[in-house]
Amino acid sequence: MLDAERLEILTESAKYDVSCSSSGSKRVNRDGGIGNASVGGICHSFTPDGRCISLLKLLLSNDCIYDCEYCPNRASADVRRATVTPEEVCELTINFYKRNYIEGLFLSSAVFGNPNKTMELLVRTVELLRKEYNFNGYIHLKGIPYADEALCMRAAKLVDRMSYNIELPSEKSLKLLAPQKTKESLLAPMKTLRDAAIYDRENRVKRAERAIPAGQTTQMIIGASPESDGAILKLTQALYRQMGLKRVYYSSYIPVVKSTKLPDKAAGLLREHRLYQADWLLRFYGFDVEELCGEGENLSAEYDPKCAWALKNLHLFPIEINRAPLDMLLRVPGIGARSAYRIMEARKFARLDFENLKKMRIILKRAKHFITCNGKFYGADGESTIRASLMLCEKNGGENEQLSLFSTTDEGMRALTGEL
Amino acid sequence: MTFYVTDGGEESFYTAVFECYNDSGGIITSKKDLQLELDSSARKVAPDTEKAMRVRKKIAQYDSAALNDIMLALRSCEENREQVAFEYIKLIIKHRRPVRGRSNIPAVLAMEDILHRVTHELHRFKGFLRFMENDRGVLYAPYSPDNDITDLLAPHFAERLRNQKFVIHDVKRKIAALYDGREIVICFADGADIYLSEYEQAFEELWKLYYKSVNIEERRHERQMKGYMPVRYWKFLPETNPD
Repeated sequence: MLDAERLEILTESAKYDVSCSSSGSKRVNRDGGIGNASVGGICHSFTPDGRCISLLKLLLSNDCIYDCEYCPNRASADVRRATVTPEEVCELTINFYKRNYIEGLFLSSAVFGNPNKTMELLVRTVELLRKEYNFNGYIHLKGIPYADEALCMRAAKLVDRMSYNIELPSEKSLKLLAPQKTKESLLAPMKTLRDAAIYDRENRVKRAERAIPAGQTTQMIIGASPESDGAILKLTQALYRQMGLKRVYYSSYIPVVKSTKLPDKAAGLLREHRLYQADWLLRFYGFDVEELCGEGENLSAEYDPKCAWALKNLHLFPIEINRAPLDMLLRVPGIGARSAYRIMEARKFARLDFENLKKMRIILKRAKHFITCNGKFYGADGESTIRASLMLCEKNGGENEQLSLFSTTDEGMRALTGEL
Repeated sequence: MTFYVTDGGEESFYTAVFECYNDSGGIITSKKDLQLELDSSARKVAPDTEKAMRVRKKIAQYDSAALNDIMLALRSCEENREQVAFEYIKLIIKHRRPVRGRSNIPAVLAMEDILHRVTHELHRFKGFLRFMENDRGVLYAPYSPDNDITDLLAPHFAERLRNQKFVIHDVKRKIAALYDGREIVICFADGADIYLSEYEQAFEELWKLYYKSVNIEERRHERQMKGYMPVRYWKFLPETNPD
């Protein structure tokens, strides 16, 4: 059995991987096995940092041949090293799963020996878990750059989700901070996986045989390198639109490693938060990155990105709640995706007034400047008054409602509103 | 004003709907310690299969999905659950069609609120339930949900764990779902003597260690943690109970 010390080392090494979700797959429990996947994902616990535990997040080994500047496990670092066997990982996964501690496994690894050897062992672990242990729960596998395409595809057929971390938001920063990885070594396998998923869809491959049914994700570190929010979001948009990714995760830089090439200050959580807000707007609110943030610009710290956009486009407002099309409702600060759909539904039956909106829990202190109900307007007059009023909302508890990006309710609605 | 007092079950509730429907001052409740005011009276409603059937049929005629919604609403811990469901039924029958999504009507919002709280908790416990293994390989999960969801929760685990015997025990309501590897049985369960398997302690310790190690201390945000995982659920989670 896996001992406490190695579990601790390999968990501590894996914890900076942000991805935690277990959504997007409908894998069923076959052949009297154990486990299935729930398409909306299930959170099993929350740690004091407010993040959810859904999967057992583990490295197979933290013994790395690479020397990436920012990484606590880089070859030249003086840290405890540990490696586990595929059997040990499987046994722990099954036993945690049985007790309902976890929804599945998130397996990654440092590169030991060489990329192929590492990837081979990752794939073997997954094969063992699926075939010998008959595990049908969720598996998210991290891909190893430079490993053979064949290995990557073998893994893709078995797991629910795969991810190659883009690590840094530009090729230049990658060269500086992770010189042994190239842009190409990260993007090539992502393209392979994308094309495999497209092939399966177009050829109507049976669900059980599809490659990565829950798609791909990636992650980049924010604040370790000089890229602007505009550049980061432009890359994000390209990853969604051209690479078909399901999620892009941002990890706010924390100086765990001392290096002259790295800033000695943490990037702060507000910037990461604003990026996630903008990311949501790109995926579920019909925004283009150009509307939110110019190439060299950063997102506003004072207002959330939707407010900032609305303030720049006051000439488009106010809109009439009872007539405005869905795409404009989605652009009103204070109206989330769920509320926009609710308004669309409710106004089929009756004309809505402010009292109705309040009862529907629309954040009127924000929305009132941008809407009319039956022609009535209760917002502030003039841009500067609106700005002052919105600034106040942001200060008073605005944080709470906005940090709750994930709430857990009926799955159909969640798919629409992007909470998945 | 007349209170129609049900036994808490669906059959009794639908019977009360039948009897109360034309009583404009009628209120349906399953409250046990009802405080009556001077001008009000209480009537106990015994389940009547035929009356309940007629009400169900009428509702299904206009909105077949409503019966499931009402089943869920009656699981709620809210004291006015029967009345909220009753108002919702009256609306469906008045409009002769589904009223779902009519967020401009307060009674519809009230029903959606109650439904949301029940289904949300059901979803949460798919994650927050914790099993321990006893010396004969049976998994046992004690918990104390706000709403009466045990029989709705059990099928999720039966599907997942398939050949594995388990017990889910609502210790407050004294209800347990027993799964023997084939079917689920719901029964009364007061206490339980559990003899843990020899590995149980070790896995629990590993889990607690995992929980501690995966946290990023520099990003501490307990308010968010408690928002997602309310403190009232912590009692049965090994990871939030340091020894």
